[in-house]
Formats: sequence, C-alpha cells, structure tokens
Amino acid sequence: MPLDDLFAEAERQMNVCNSCRYCEGYCAVWPALELRTELTKGDLTHLANLCHDCRDCFTACMYTAPHEFDLNPPKVFTEIRTATYTSYVWPRNLPRPLRGAAGTAVSAVVIGLVLLGLSVLTTDGLAFATTTSGSPYELLPYWLMLLVVGLPALWSAGVGLYAVAGYWRDTHGRLGDLASPRVWAAALRTAVTLRHMRGGGEEECAYPTDQPTPARRRFHGLTFWGFLLCLLSTMAAGVEQDFLGIDPPYPPLSVPVVSGTAGGVAMIVGCAGLLALKRRAAPEQGTETMRRADHGLLGALLVLAVTGVLTLVLRETAAFGAVLLIHLAAIVVCFGVAPYTKFVHWVYRLLAVYQDEWEHRTADR
Amino acid sequence: MRGEEAFSRDWDVVIIGGGNAALVSALSARDAGARVLMLERAPLVFRGGNSRHTRNVRCVHNAADAFNTGAYRFDELWKDLCGVGKGPSDEELAELTVRRSEDAPGWMAGHGVRWQRPLTGTLHLGRTNRFFLGGGKALVNAYYRRAAAAGVEVLYEASVERLEFAGDRCTGLVVSSGGREHRLRAGAVVCASGGFEANIAWLRRYWGDAALNYHIRGPRYNDGTVLAQLFEAGAESAGEERGFHAIAVDARSPKFDGGIATRLDTIPFGVVVNRDGVRFYDEGEDIWPKRYAIWGRNIAGQPDQIAYSFWDAKVRGLFLPPMYGVYRGDSVGDVAAQMGVDPATVTATIGAYNAALSGEGRFDPAVLDGLGTRGLDPPKSNWAQPIDTPPYFGIAMRPGITFTYMGVAVTRDARVRRTDGSVLANVFAAGEIMSGNILSTGYLAGFGMTIGTVWGRIAGEEAAKHAVG
Repeated sequence: MPLDDLFAEAERQMNVCNSCRYCEGYCAVWPALELRTELTKGDLTHLANLCHDCRDCFTACMYTAPHEFDLNPPKVFTEIRTATYTSYVWPRNLPRPLRGAAGTAVSAVVIGLVLLGLSVLTTDGLAFATTTSGSPYELLPYWLMLLVVGLPALWSAGVGLYAVAGYWRDTHGRLGDLASPRVWAAALRTAVTLRHMRGGGEEECAYPTDQPTPARRRFHGLTFWGFLLCLLSTMAAGVEQDFLGIDPPYPPLSVPVVSGTAGGVAMIVGCAGLLALKRRAAPEQGTETMRRADHGLLGALLVLAVTGVLTLVLRETAAFGAVLLIHLAAIVVCFGVAPYTKFVHWVYRLLAVYQDEWEHRTADR
Repeated sequence: MRGEEAFSRDWDVVIIGGGNAALVSALSARDAGARVLMLERAPLVFRGGNSRHTRNVRCVHNAADAFNTGAYRFDELWKDLCGVGKGPSDEELAELTVRRSEDAPGWMAGHGVRWQRPLTGTLHLGRTNRFFLGGGKALVNAYYRRAAAAGVEVLYEASVERLEFAGDRCTGLVVSSGGREHRLRAGAVVCASGGFEANIAWLRRYWGDAALNYHIRGPRYNDGTVLAQLFEAGAESAGEERGFHAIAVDARSPKFDGGIATRLDTIPFGVVVNRDGVRFYDEGEDIWPKRYAIWGRNIAGQPDQIAYSFWDAKVRGLFLPPMYGVYRGDSVGDVAAQMGVDPATVTATIGAYNAALSGEGRFDPAVLDGLGTRGLDPPKSNWAQPIDTPPYFGIAMRPGITFTYMGVAVTRDARVRRTDGSVLANVFAAGEIMSGNILSTGYLAGFGMTIGTVWGRIAGEEAAKHAVG
C-alpha cells in the first residue's frame, strides 16, 4: 500500500476509535489518541510505535470485519511501524545483496572467512589448536578484536542517532525536548518494567489468543534482560582486563562468565518462547512482512545466544576456535545491519514511551 | 458439539439469546447444576447482541473502591431511577432490581468480567457506574470463555422460530439451524433474546413511516420473533409500545450496528435546528450525560426525523470528534447549504439566537453555567455562547434506537405472566425482552446491563430450580 493510503486508512480507523474510546483502559495508545482530535502522520507514527501489538483492542472491538467499519488497529499499526523502520535510517534500504535471511547468511559466511584469514595472519590460528587456554585473543589479538566489533557498532550507533533525530522531528518537533531527565526517568521505568505489556486490568494482555496471560511479557523480559546481561558480560570483561589487569579466560565464578551464561540462557528461553507464541497469533491481525522481520530478529538473537553460550562451554576444547569464530562473525554482521532490522524497534518504542510520558506531564499541567 | 448432537439431546434449560442476559442466565443455571444449551442467532463473530455495544453497569455500592470513585447507595439509585421519564413501570420489580444490583459486580467479577479504572472518558459516570475493561464485547467474550469452561453448550446461527405450548408449559422449540428446522425439548426456557428494535415493520405499527428513518444502533438480529411468540401464547405485555432508548446519531451512519462510534456530542455546544431550519428544543437543558438519551426521541418527533447541529470555532475540541468528520464553512449559511437545509432560514435562526443571549455568566462546559438566552422560544438555558466565530461547523443527525422497552410482564422469579393472570410455568425472561417491567420512558445510563445481570441471575436460577429441582 502506498504510504499516503496507509496513513489515510490509519486516520479513518483512528477516527472511529476516537469516537468510541472503549479500549482506553487497555494500553497507552488510547489515552494518547484522546489527546488528539486531528491526526497528522506524525501522530499516527507515534501511536503506532506506542502500540506493543498485544491485540487486546482487536479482541474487544465490535467493529472488526465483517463489520463494515472493518477496524484492525494491530494490523494498521504494524504496517506503520514497518514504514517507520525504513523511513528514518540511512541508507533507507540496505544494498540488495545484504537484505533478507539469505543476505545475512551470506554476509556471515563472508565475514567468517575474512576473520579466519585475519586469525591466521595475526595469531597463526592459535585458537584452533587442540589445546587452547580459552582466551579469545588466541583467535584475534585484542586490538583487532576491538576493531572488527567496534567499527560496525559505531556505524550502527551513528545510523541510530540519525534515525532518532528524524523520528523525533516528525513525531514531536523540538530536539531539545529530548533532554528532560525527569521524563527520561519515567520513560525508562516504563520501558524496563515492560509496564505496558501488563495490560489495563489486574490481569495481563491476552496475546496471542483471547486468554489474559503473562507469557509474552515474561519471554520478552527474559530476552531483554538476557541481552543486557550479555552486554554486561562483555563490559565486565573489558573492565577486568583494562582496569584490573586480569586477562581472559575468566574463571566460572567471575562476573563476565556468570552474567554471560545467565544472559545467554535467558535469551535462548525468551526468544524460543516468543517464537512459540508467535505461531499461535492470528495472522490476520498482523502482516507477513512484520512476521518475517520478527522471525529474523529472534532467529539472529538465538544464533548470538547459542554461539555465545557454546563459546563459554567449549572454551577448553578443540571446538573453541570454530565456535568463537562463528559467534564473532554473527556479532559483526548483527552489529552492522541492526538499524535495518526489527532490532531497532526498541529505539522508536522508547522514544514513543518518552513522548507519552512527556504528554502526560504537559497535559497534567 | 455439532448442532445435530445438541438437537438430539434433552436439556434442562435452553437459553434463547446470546447477549449479557442470556450469558448470565446460562452461567447461573449451570452453577445451579442444570445442563444448559444456549441458542445464539448471530454467527460467532457478531455474538452478544446489544451487549457488544455496552460499556458499563449501574449498581448500588456503599463505598468507593478502585473502580467507583464514591458510594452510590440504594436510596440514590432509586431516586435516579424514579427521576427518569415517568419513573418505573412496576415499582415492586424495579425495587427488586435496584436491591439486587448490589451483589451484581461481585458475581460478574467472579465469572470473569474485568473492570476499568475511571479515566478521562468515564470520569463523569465514575462514581455511579462500573466500566468493563474493553467494553461490552470484552465482557461478552469473558462470559463465553467461562461458559465453555463450565460446560454450557452454545450453538451459533441457531434461530428460534417458534415456541410450542401445551397449557401453561412450553413443550418445544422450533429452531432453524444449518438450513434445517429442528425441534428441541427443554425442562425450562429462558427468553433473553432482546427487544424488537431491528424489526422496522413492527416499529412502524406505532411510529408510522417515521420508523423508516430510524437508525438501529445494535445488530439486525433483534427482530422480536421470540417476543411475538410469547404474546401469541398469551403473555402479558409490559412497558410502552413506543418506549425505547434512543440517542442522536450521525445521519451518515449505517442503518444497523453503528454502536457507540456514530453518536454525537455536539448538541450542548451550539444550536440544533430541524428540517425547516428552526430550533425546537433547549440544547442546554441539563448536563450532557443526563440529556444524552432524550435527543433520539426529540429528533424522532421532528419532520423527516432529521436535525442539524451547528457550532463555531470557539468550542472546537470540547467534545468527541465525530467519526465521519464534520461539515465546515465560512458562514452558517454555507454549512447549512452543504447539509441541504435552507441557508437563509438557518442564518435567521442563528441570528435571532445570537441576539437573545443574556451574556450573564461565564462559559463552563463542566457545570450548569447559567449562560442562557432571554426571551427566546425555546430557550437555551446553559452554555449559550454566540455562534459568530468562523469557521462554522455542522452535522446532520438521526434518531439512533438502542433498544425497545415493550416486552413481557414477569413475576418476581422472572416467570412470564399471562393476560389471564396465570403464569407460563417453565418460561422465564431476562434482559431487554422484559425491561419494560422496569423502564417506562426515560433511560438511566448503564441500567440496561443492570437489568440484564440481575434478571439473568434470577431467570437462570429459577429455570434450573424448575428443571432440576
């Protein structure tokens, strides 16, 4: 659907919703809609990214097809989010060979081969020997490791900041309004507790069927906290090495190993759970494009988590070098293409939550 | 269970209908140990009748809690009920309804209903009414889930065409389902199939051709077939034949099932003229939630059953935005012309209104601000600001019927009464089909669901008692 038609359809649906308002108790989208009477594309983009796709509104709606009003907020919001993910990054589309699951896989293989070459050139492939110490620097020396991971990470951070600025300009306006510590405190609290996923009542949202259940919030929480623990593991290793002078490998009861193991396992359980729930969700309330994007992200996170955990478990075996190489190649590819995938959802969502908290403060005043 | 299998079994209690009163009856009868079959005319996606479009229930409560902002005692609800229209039709049954409303919320929550805390859209009724999280369809969904878990059988697209009687007993139901007619036997029958508002021919008997211009806010299934069958079996009628709950809806809304989204809240913020371009009723009589439900009837009484609401830029954003948008122009005449009303008459009407403003008081939409007209007939008693700031806006309105009141008379145990003074021994009624016992002319927001819940429980329990013992 052309973008103008998509926003016109979203506006039509939201005008019906704004005349009804029965869903206002479910999530933040509906009270936010009530603050508006005339909807711009920026408003609709904000509402779409505030939506966490639990579909409670669809289940409760008396105007879904075959009713002639034909409302489907989860779907139209999903379509707008898809548009958001491609509208604000640079370049707006990845070069064709890099797109999709095939592009990712090919990139990973190419990067893996390059890393293998670099390993042979710099460490003589020490990590692939039958006896290794389990130190990652037997694959690549520290400076090179920093370089191959740091470059794509910096690229993604730059593209991400560019996207933040564009999105915020369209949905809010003044960039300076992003600097309120009090709003950030409220927004981060909402984000890290996944408060919106609790739904509006004493119970939970009803995704993926019509029974209220905490399953999605818990699996999402495991994925999210697991991911943060894995980042913590990496950073803790950096601190131990650069500030405490303790070189890897770290013992089983060290911060990097414990947080990495717990984080990896949490991510595996979380991603697998979310994938399982997704299989039971009604396809007509979403889109095939978003389903593929969701599977891509969850699949990539699973690869990262599984190879990461294996790197730890197998670090004193002959398989260490190979597993670490795969893990590293996966990281490099994921860091490089992250802004062009569903991974960025949290950036726009966090901005939407910030905007929502901002509006509540302004409306209360 | 397949239809064939359900039709070959004997049931203790058969419930006709699929909305709130039917579901409450079914769950109550099941809780009392009966084998229960529900016959819902609509397909699954449209199940729930008018209850799909409801949002709250008005019950007695003696203290505030998380979902009601303050106490609402028996005396106050009773007074409110007596204050609408001509007051209750049958004081004894109305009193029983109010009395038994007190334990309805507990029962509802115990059967899966979830509440919404008072928010912006619900605050004005937050003390007296409890709001369903997600509205009526969410409530209906919760009850259907509970019914399935409890072992209540539900057949969709199963339409009761005839009731068969022998003496004072219903001996069989003729049900159309899957393109065939089936005969069904039951120990007791609960009729919870709603009013007859979707039967335009029936409405026309009392309203003449005016009924052709009514919009029906609920589904097209409520055609009163079961109600007519009960009358044929000698049931006594309760409630006025012209009684109904109706509001002002957008003239562009669909003929059926537009529900809440087509309603209009613009009336107190400007003036309303009829087909001939003249005013006919005080737009500022009382605060809007209290007057919301009289405007359907007001418009139904006007020529061609149409009216036009006008307002100006000053009051934009003070009410819910109409779903189909509004007519807009640089003058009131321009807006009138777009809607097909005579621009000169409307301009003169609004000119006369502007000239009659007292200007005494400060405009405040939250209270009766006393800002009224002087020497104008009819007056506008509150919120009378000049309509003089472009752009001007307008919208065309029709009567939107929510439900009809005329139904069957019942006893305290929800048994259907007959004109000869006897009762139908095994036929019970709950919900809109018997709301005429309680409501005469006016309406109290949320009280339809109170009637459905209270009488659903009585009918379900009594039907089970009759059938199972």
